[in-house]
Amino acid sequence: MTLEFLQSLNEIEITESLTLLSLLIGGIIMAVGIILARIVRLIFTKYYAPKLPQDTAKNLAKLIYFGIIILAFLVFTSSTGLDLSGLLVAGGIFGIIIGFATQSVVSNLISGIFLMIEKPVKQGDKIELPGSDISGTLLDISTFSVRIRRFDGTIIRVPNESFFTSNIRSLTSTPVRRSDAIVGIAYKEDIDGAISVIEKEIYKSMSFVLMIPKPEFRINELADSSVNIEILVWHPREDWDEVGPKLLKVAKKALDSAGIEIPFPQRVIWRAKE
Amino acid sequence: MEETFSELHNYSKYGIYTIFDSEDILLPNIEIKIKRISENVFSYNRKDTEDNISEQMIPTKSNKLTIELSPIRPLNYPARRTNYVYLDLDTPIFLSEGSAATIFARCPIEIGVFIVHDKHKDSLDWFTCDPVSSRFGLYGLPESGTLCKYAKSEIVESYEDSIPFVNAVLKINLQNDLDEGHSISKIVFPISDNSIYYKNSRAIIDSVTAVLRKKLTLEILDVFSKPAQTDWTLAPTYESTIPVKRMDMGVD
Repeated sequence: MTLEFLQSLNEIEITESLTLLSLLIGGIIMAVGIILARIVRLIFTKYYAPKLPQDTAKNLAKLIYFGIIILAFLVFTSSTGLDLSGLLVAGGIFGIIIGFATQSVVSNLISGIFLMIEKPVKQGDKIELPGSDISGTLLDISTFSVRIRRFDGTIIRVPNESFFTSNIRSLTSTPVRRSDAIVGIAYKEDIDGAISVIEKEIYKSMSFVLMIPKPEFRINELADSSVNIEILVWHPREDWDEVGPKLLKVAKKALDSAGIEIPFPQRVIWRAKE
Repeated sequence: MEETFSELHNYSKYGIYTIFDSEDILLPNIEIKIKRISENVFSYNRKDTEDNISEQMIPTKSNKLTIELSPIRPLNYPARRTNYVYLDLDTPIFLSEGSAATIFARCPIEIGVFIVHDKHKDSLDWFTCDPVSSRFGLYGLPESGTLCKYAKSEIVESYEDSIPFVNAVLKINLQNDLDEGHSISKIVFPISDNSIYYKNSRAIIDSVTAVLRKKLTLEILDVFSKPAQTDWTLAPTYESTIPVKRMDMGVD
């Protein structure tokens, strides 16, 4: 009964070389291929991916999944005897048209491949794209785009091509970072005394500031109303928010406690005699 | 070494204590209050000199609470960032060619509070009694160096010379296998390999051996840990320990 049914399917021709039965077998091959690809990807994600870097694991999982599906498709075409040469000829003409239409897509794809090979930054790194004023945590590098979670919590998608050709500043690839701030003191004040009180306050209240390299103090400018002191401190790369935004506050507190004047711009106006 | 808090007059000892009711623990810069709030629940409240408060509720199976107060590795304050400690010796040690020396140096510690139940010890809290000296330092260059917990280290005479609740004493065996004399002014090592032991209010750390030797063409200070032979009580481990790669220090 079943054999007869299959035979009847074999007799129904869709095209010259394609019968309904071979299409059914092909469908089964594709379904098995997809299920197999999913199982293999699941096993890989569960057992092997945790041992690999996140982005490598993600890309390998994609490669395995689509590799098995492509393999299944090739088995499907060879088992059904499907002749794709016609498609290839048509594809040549369409290829040119599609090539023009999808220029940016292909460009993003190629850039994505180069980003995966070069690995200028990795998933989880804090980065900044100085030219485009984008900074945040790199979420992933996918086939066509890069996703970055900005420090305000929003997520921004940057096309791979634009990311690949941008200057990328990595904020977490070194063990430590430096933060700086500029504070002005009045001309009448003792510079060494001011530096000493700021340094003491930094050591006392900023637990993330490194003892080595020591905080550095430079006279940045003899400005109109003040002598500007530049404060440079090092801290662990993860702890910018514990140091950068607080540095000026600590410096002001130290100067206020020591009674050192932080001047504001002053202008002397001479009135001409009438 | 089990005793009730009522027997402990000034809480100046590490060890295991059983609390039946309410007790206050006074340590340098830290005040801990443990209070029974119901039949099987205690409250734990820690306050430092800047009035930062940490509070927790502790349900217990019985009507008593057993805790252990012990020294732990100085890796948690202000945040867990590294496994390495950088001891900056207050006086450099000069070793002439082929010579060896043994010194005792102070190394900072933190304090751990552990709940003891059914032979298990669970980490309840940690703190430092000397937050101003608990700082980071970098060994090496900013782009490739190693972030460490940094401390100025005084050289002392024996294991008995630690400052209670602030530091422990570490024995350092120094050896010069080079064909010229060298000064050693700093020791950098992964302290996660070292255990801490306590007795009353004193603490010691597994010793380290630092050997000046040649590795290919480079002169290095090879630092490795060695378990201390002692009858002092082994302190529980607060943080989960992961193997850390030993580092070769350059010779200044």
